[in-house]
Amino acid sequence: MLGNSENKLTSLCMTEFWKYKASKWVMLFLIFVFISNQSHSSIDNLVKNSFRQHCVECHGAKDKVKGDVDLTSYAKGADIKENPELLQMVLEVIDFGEMPPDEKEPIPPKTQKALVSELKKMLEEAVANENEVVKVPIRRMTRFQYANAVKDLLDLKVEVFPLPERMMRDRSGYFKPASGKMPNKMKVSSRPLGKSGLIEPRMDGVAPFPQDLRAEHGYDTQGDHLSLSPLLMEDFFRLSRSIVQSSSFNSKNVGTWKVYFEEPTNEINKEQEIKKRLSKLLNHAFRRPVDHELVNRYALYAQQSLVQGKSFPVVMKEVLSTVLASPRFIYLYDGVNTKKNSEQFENINLASRLSFFLWGSLPDEKLLDCANAGILWEEHGLRKQVNRMLKDSKIKRFCDSFPTQWLQLDRIISAVPDEKKYKDFYYGPPMYRTTMDMMMEPLLLFETVLIEDRSLLELIDSNYTFRSPRLRKWYGEKPMGKLGGPVTISFEKQQVTDRRYGGVITNGAIMTMTSGPLETKPITRGAWMAGVIFNSPPPPPPAEVPPLPEEKEVNDSLTLRERFSDHRERADCAGCHEKLDPLGFAFENFDPVGRWREKYDNGREVDASGKLFRTHEFSNVIEFKDAILKEKDRFVRALAGHLLAYGLGRELSPSDSLALDQIVRSVKKENYSMKSLIYAVVSSKPFLGRDSKLTLHQRY
Amino acid sequence: MKAIGRRTFLQGLGSSILALPWMESLASTVSLFPSQRAAFYYVPIGVVRRTFFPGEEKSIVQQKFNSDDFDADSTRSNIGLGLHDLQLTRTMKPLVRLKDKITLITGLDRTFQPGTDVHAQCASCFLSSASPFSLKGTPYPQARTLDHIIADRIGSGTPFKTLEFSCNSHKDNKESIQFDNISWYGTEHVAPSMRDPLLAYRRLFKSDERCAYKNITDLVLEDAKSLSSELGYSDQQKFGEYFESIRSIENQISRLEAMKQELSKVDLDIPLDGKMPRGEYIRLMGDLMVTALQTGLTNVATFMVGPERWDTPYLFESLFDKPKSHHMMSHNQGRYMNDLIKVDYFYMEQFAYLCEKMNNIEEANGKSLLDNIIFTYGSGLGDGSTHQYSALPIVVAGSGGGKFITGKHLNVSAKSGLIKKVNGTYKTPEGGVPLANLWLTQAQAMGLKLDRFADSTGAISSLLA
Repeated sequence: MLGNSENKLTSLCMTEFWKYKASKWVMLFLIFVFISNQSHSSIDNLVKNSFRQHCVECHGAKDKVKGDVDLTSYAKGADIKENPELLQMVLEVIDFGEMPPDEKEPIPPKTQKALVSELKKMLEEAVANENEVVKVPIRRMTRFQYANAVKDLLDLKVEVFPLPERMMRDRSGYFKPASGKMPNKMKVSSRPLGKSGLIEPRMDGVAPFPQDLRAEHGYDTQGDHLSLSPLLMEDFFRLSRSIVQSSSFNSKNVGTWKVYFEEPTNEINKEQEIKKRLSKLLNHAFRRPVDHELVNRYALYAQQSLVQGKSFPVVMKEVLSTVLASPRFIYLYDGVNTKKNSEQFENINLASRLSFFLWGSLPDEKLLDCANAGILWEEHGLRKQVNRMLKDSKIKRFCDSFPTQWLQLDRIISAVPDEKKYKDFYYGPPMYRTTMDMMMEPLLLFETVLIEDRSLLELIDSNYTFRSPRLRKWYGEKPMGKLGGPVTISFEKQQVTDRRYGGVITNGAIMTMTSGPLETKPITRGAWMAGVIFNSPPPPPPAEVPPLPEEKEVNDSLTLRERFSDHRERADCAGCHEKLDPLGFAFENFDPVGRWREKYDNGREVDASGKLFRTHEFSNVIEFKDAILKEKDRFVRALAGHLLAYGLGRELSPSDSLALDQIVRSVKKENYSMKSLIYAVVSSKPFLGRDSKLTLHQRY
Repeated sequence: MKAIGRRTFLQGLGSSILALPWMESLASTVSLFPSQRAAFYYVPIGVVRRTFFPGEEKSIVQQKFNSDDFDADSTRSNIGLGLHDLQLTRTMKPLVRLKDKITLITGLDRTFQPGTDVHAQCASCFLSSASPFSLKGTPYPQARTLDHIIADRIGSGTPFKTLEFSCNSHKDNKESIQFDNISWYGTEHVAPSMRDPLLAYRRLFKSDERCAYKNITDLVLEDAKSLSSELGYSDQQKFGEYFESIRSIENQISRLEAMKQELSKVDLDIPLDGKMPRGEYIRLMGDLMVTALQTGLTNVATFMVGPERWDTPYLFESLFDKPKSHHMMSHNQGRYMNDLIKVDYFYMEQFAYLCEKMNNIEEANGKSLLDNIIFTYGSGLGDGSTHQYSALPIVVAGSGGGKFITGKHLNVSAKSGLIKKVNGTYKTPEGGVPLANLWLTQAQAMGLKLDRFADSTGAISSLLA
C-alpha cells in the first residue's frame, strides 16, 4: 500500500516537476528516489525513505546543511533514536507542517500521517530507555517565592516587601476561589503601570533583592537561572535581619506571635519551651522532619542569647533571622537519602513541589501531613489535596505568577505606541497608558477559567470577557462609566458576541505588546503565537536580520505583507517565515494598539488570510480561531508543557513528551476542564518523579 | 523626591579622594608596591566600524541586507601586522589626553556557537571565550570568566575577591541573564552585578551591618553541611555555591573590619531615588568602581555599561530627546548611522572619564592607578549591524605596572575588518587571532602560570614592554 502511494507520489512529482522550473539535479534526485523505492517498501524504511526523499536535499546533501540539521546518515540507515533531541525536532516540524518548506515537494497527507505516527513510536522507544525521569535541580527560591514563604511561615498579616511581579492587584476582594465563581464586577490596580498600586500594608524597612529574570522561552523558576553568589547571600542575610528588626514585626502583624515569640507566661522550663517551639518552627520552615541534632543546635544558640540577657522575643526573632537565611529554607531541593526512609523523602519532595507550583510557597501542615501519610500517591488523595489547594486563597500566587509569564505580559511595560499617532492611548499627566487596562483583560479571563473550572479552550475563544470603561471605549463600545485609573480600575464581565474578541490571543494587551510604536510586527506576533500558544518557539532570528524598508523609504502603496516579501524569497529566511507568517499576519486587522482596522494607512485592504500548519485555510481572525480549535490538542499539549516547565523549574526534554501526550488524553476525557489539566500535570510522571500508576505499596 | 545632583556627590567624593587624608594611612598599612589590578569595561552591541577603526573609513554601511556581493575586502584597512602609531579615530577622540597610556588592538576574534541568539553569547562568553561545543550540557560556550581566574591569583587578600558593576537601568524583565552579565563563576553560574549606586555604596563602604552576620554564619554552615549530605551528586556540585558564598562573606567581614577606620572616612552623597541621566549614572557607578580599586576593596572589577539586545528604549539624555533603542538602531545602520556613532562616542567618553580618573590617582610607587592597572575596553561584536564575532573593538588602557607597551596601535591579523557575505551568509574571514590570546597575555601579566586560556593559540608577545 505504501509502495503504491509512493509511486503515486513519484508520478505526481513528475508532473509537478514540469510545472516548477526545477533544476536538473532535482530531476536526478527524483529518479534516484524512484529507483531506490523499488527495493524498500516496509514501514521500517518509511522514515529513511522520507528523509531521503524530502529532507536531505537541504539537510546534508552536497554540503548543504540548513539550520545545522544534517540527516544524511539517518537517511542511509543510522538509527535516529540515538539522538532523541533531533528525533523530537524532526517529528515536530513534520507534524506541524513546517517542513518541507513551501517551494519543495510536500509530503502527501497519508504518508505524513504514517510518518508522524512512526516517528512518535520511535521517540517513545528512544526515551523508554531513559528509565529515570529528569531530575529537578536544586535551586534557591525566587524572590517571589521567598516573600510568600516568609509570609506563610509566620502567618503575616502584611506583605514582606513590594513585588512588582504581581501585575494585577485585587482592590475589591473579588478573588474568592472557594466560591468557585468569579464575581461580575471587580476593582483592580497595577503596580508597574499605575499609580499607588504599590500601596498595601507591608513590613517597614524591608527591601528585597532584585527580581529574578524570566528565562528565555521559560520561567523565572528555571533552576539554572537561580544560583547563589556572595552578593545574593549578603542580600539574604540583610533581608532576614531586616524582617525581624522591622517595627512591623509585632504581635499585631505576626499571626504566629503567640506560638513562637511571646514570652512564656509561667515559669515553665524555658529550655524545654524553646526546644518545643523551635521544633515546630524548623519543621515548617525546612519543610521536612528535622532531627534532634538540628533542633539542639538552634536551641543552644537561643540559650546563649538568653544568658546574655536578651529578652525572649528578641532571642526568638534572632533565631528566626538565622532560619530565614539557612540553606534549608532558601533552597528547593529533592532530598535523596542514603538511609532507610527514602519513602518519607519522596513524600515530602512531592508536597513541596505541589505547594511551590500552586501556592508559590511552602506546604501547609495539612499538606505535609497528607504527604507523610503517603496518601499523595493515591489518586483520590492527590485529587483531594489539589482541589483543596485550588480553592485556597493562596492560589492567587499562581495567578500572579504563571499567566503573566506564560503570556509574557511583562513585555507590555515597555510597549510605547507613538505619542503623536496614538495620542488617545495616553491620558493625564504624566502620560498613563491604556496598556494598564489592557493588561488586566487576559489575566481576569485566566482567573475565571481556573476558579470556575471552565474549559481551557476559552483562553482561545470565549463568549465573555472583562472590560473597564476605558477598554470598552478603546474597543469602540460605549464606556458606560467613568474612565477610571490610574489608581484603581473597575472591571465588569460582559458577553462577547463578536468572535473577533474573546479569548486571550486578540486582546489589546497582546496586540499592543507585539507591535512597534508605529506599526504592527507580524513576525513578532507570529513568534509569540508559536512560543506561547503552541510552545514551539522559533529558533533565534539570524544575526543579519535585515531591517524592513521603512514606510517612507519604499513605495507607499505596499502592504506590510508585501514589504516582507524580500524575506520570504530568501531561502535562509523562508523556513521560519513560513512558520511565523500565517501565525502573525492572521492578526493584521488589529493595529499596533489593538484596534480593528480594515485598511492600512495607505488605503490598502488588510489581508489576514493564511493557512495554519499548512492544513487549515483561514481568511480572517475568526476563521483563524476556528483553525486553532481544530488543532486544540496541540494547544492543550503546549499549555501542559508550559505548566510542567514552570512547576519543575527546568526546560522540558524529549523524555517528557510521552507524559505530555498522556496529559492531553486525560484532559480530553474531562472536556478540557482547567482543573483536569492541573491535575493531569501534577500526576504526570515528570512531576511525581516516578510512574503514577505505582502506588507506594506496590513499589516497596 | 528631589534628586540630589551629581555635583553634590562629586563634591563629597572629591573632598575625600583628592585630599587623600585616609589614603595615606591606608598606604602605610599596605606595601610600597601597589597590588596588581585588572578591570574590564564592556560595551554592548558592537560599534560602527568606519568611525572606530583606523583605515576603515570607507567601510561599507549595511544599507540593505541583500546586497549579497559587496566586496568587504576592498573596505578593509591596509594596515599591516604589528605595531603602528596610534591614530585616534572619531570614536576614539575622547581618549586624546590619554593617548600615550592606551593601546588599540585590532584583529581579535571570537567564535560563535550556533544554537542561541547571537547576542546571548556576546557578553556572557566574552571573558571566557571557550571554543564552541567545548562544554557539555550548555548551549553557551561559557566557562569561568577571566576576571575570576585572575582574582584567584591576585584577589584573595582583598575583602571582595571581585566586584561586578552594571549600568543596566531597565526596569522590565525583558531578557534573561545571558544578556545582562559578563562575569560568571562558571558555566550557568552567574556573578550578579550591582546596579543600584546607593546599595553598592552601602555594601562597599559601610560595614557596620555586616558584622551582625558573624553570629549566624556558623549555624547556617552546619545546616549546609547536613543538607549537602542529602543531595545527589550533581545537586551537591551546584550547592557548592552556598559554601563559597558563605566563605567569601566571612572573608569580607574580617578584612573589612581591618579597614573599618579608613573606610568610615569615605562619605559620599548618593542620590536617594536613583533617578539620574544616563551619563551621570554611568559615571557614578564608575566612581564607585575606581574608589573600590583605589582603596584596595578589590583588585578585580568588571563594568558593563549596558545590556546586550534588550530592545526597550533608553533615554540617552545628552544625545537624544527621545528614548532610543541601541539594538534596534544597530539593525539599520544605514538609517541610524549618525545616532549610532553618537552612542559609540558616548560610551567611549565614559571610558575616558574613568581612565582619567584613574590617571589622576597617585599611588605609593609614584605612578598612577591607571599605570598600575590593566583596564580593557571591549565589545563582543565587531560591528553592530553584521553581528560579526570577528575584528572586535579592543582598547587596553594602563600597562599593569609597566608590563605592557602603550600609546600604540597593534594589529594582530592581516584579514581583519568588516566581514564578507557569500551566498547570503556572512563568512568570518579565516586567519583571525583569538581574543583569548589577549586574555592569556593579561593573565600571564597578572602572574598566572598559564600556557593556554580557552581557545587561545599563544600570548601576544608584541604587547609586552
